[in-house]
Amino acid sequence: MTTLIMIDQPPYGAWTGREALDMAFSLAAFDQSASLLFTGPGVNWLRQTQHAGGIEQKSVEKNLTAAPIFGMDAILADRAACIAYGLDEHSLIEGVTLVDADADLLTDYDHTAFAG
Amino acid sequence: MTDIQTLHILNKSPDHPRAARCVEMMSAEDGLLLTGNGVLLLARGNLLPGASKVFALIPDVEARGLGDLSGNVSSVDFAEMVTLSLQAQRVISW
Amino acid sequence: MSETFTLVITGAPYSSQAPQTALGFAKAAVDAGHQIDRVFLYGDGVHLASALCAPPSDETHWPDEWSRFLTQHKIPGVACIASALRRGLVNETEQKRYELPSANLRAPFEIAGLGEWVEGRIKSTRTLYFHAGD
Repeated sequence: MTTLIMIDQPPYGAWTGREALDMAFSLAAFDQSASLLFTGPGVNWLRQTQHAGGIEQKSVEKNLTAAPIFGMDAILADRAACIAYGLDEHSLIEGVTLVDADADLLTDYDHTAFAG
Repeated sequence: MTDIQTLHILNKSPDHPRAARCVEMMSAEDGLLLTGNGVLLLARGNLLPGASKVFALIPDVEARGLGDLSGNVSSVDFAEMVTLSLQAQRVISW
Repeated sequence: MSETFTLVITGAPYSSQAPQTALGFAKAAVDAGHQIDRVFLYGDGVHLASALCAPPSDETHWPDEWSRFLTQHKIPGVACIASALRRGLVNETEQKRYELPSANLRAPFEIAGLGEWVEGRIKSTRTLYFHAGD
């Protein structure tokens, strides 16, 4: 069973994205196939050089770069959203695959979920 | 009732970014089930996806005074929502 | 044919319609002869498991409605431990562990990890999510 976890919220100032990441890590921990798809303002998770100490939060960049180590299949980002937020290969963290978030993409997965 | 590739359950009002994303990610083989504030999409007929099957949860429709459904929207109760969720190959809750 | 569902509730009672829609779905599924493997509360959904909700008497008591439904049909209700602890939902074990003044988890809900969600997902024909609206 393949699962796509979608994150459409920005990385800070909201908790849903973090809880989505926990879901994806949890699937991987139980040897279940899991990928993450970032859309809309959610693509800001994938920007390099986040320093969240000033708002007393952990940088999500570190969590995400660890995703392949924990067995996550893929980190996907909606191409149009990346362009809209000025993200390109120079500003994205490593290991992100750009995709078009459309109906075809959903048919690649048995299960797609948001954390909230 | 024909097969549905993906059943999209939308409970966000039409101005929520996720409502637009949901409609964008639908194909002609998909179904849209409006629940909660998602039924307000019925009052914004021009935003409804033209090609797909559209369903609306009747208590939510009636609560919001939108009982007079247009021809290509089917009202469903919870029992029919259960059936729809099983008929579709996959379900996404937006 | 009898199928199996796992229901995930991520919207809180009294700030979203999620627990109400989920209960409507759950009752219809049971009435149709299907099984509900478990109900998993995640994120703000854990507030449904609070024993301390006291809505006005002319409003539906959703935590109470859910407790009765789960008990009547012997369906496990599980609140995600990470979501619950962050939001102040604890059972007696966690109360002692963190030396908190009281426990407030409503019966028959239990507290457990996301593994419960993963397992429900694997065992069920469909896993449905009930999120907050807007």
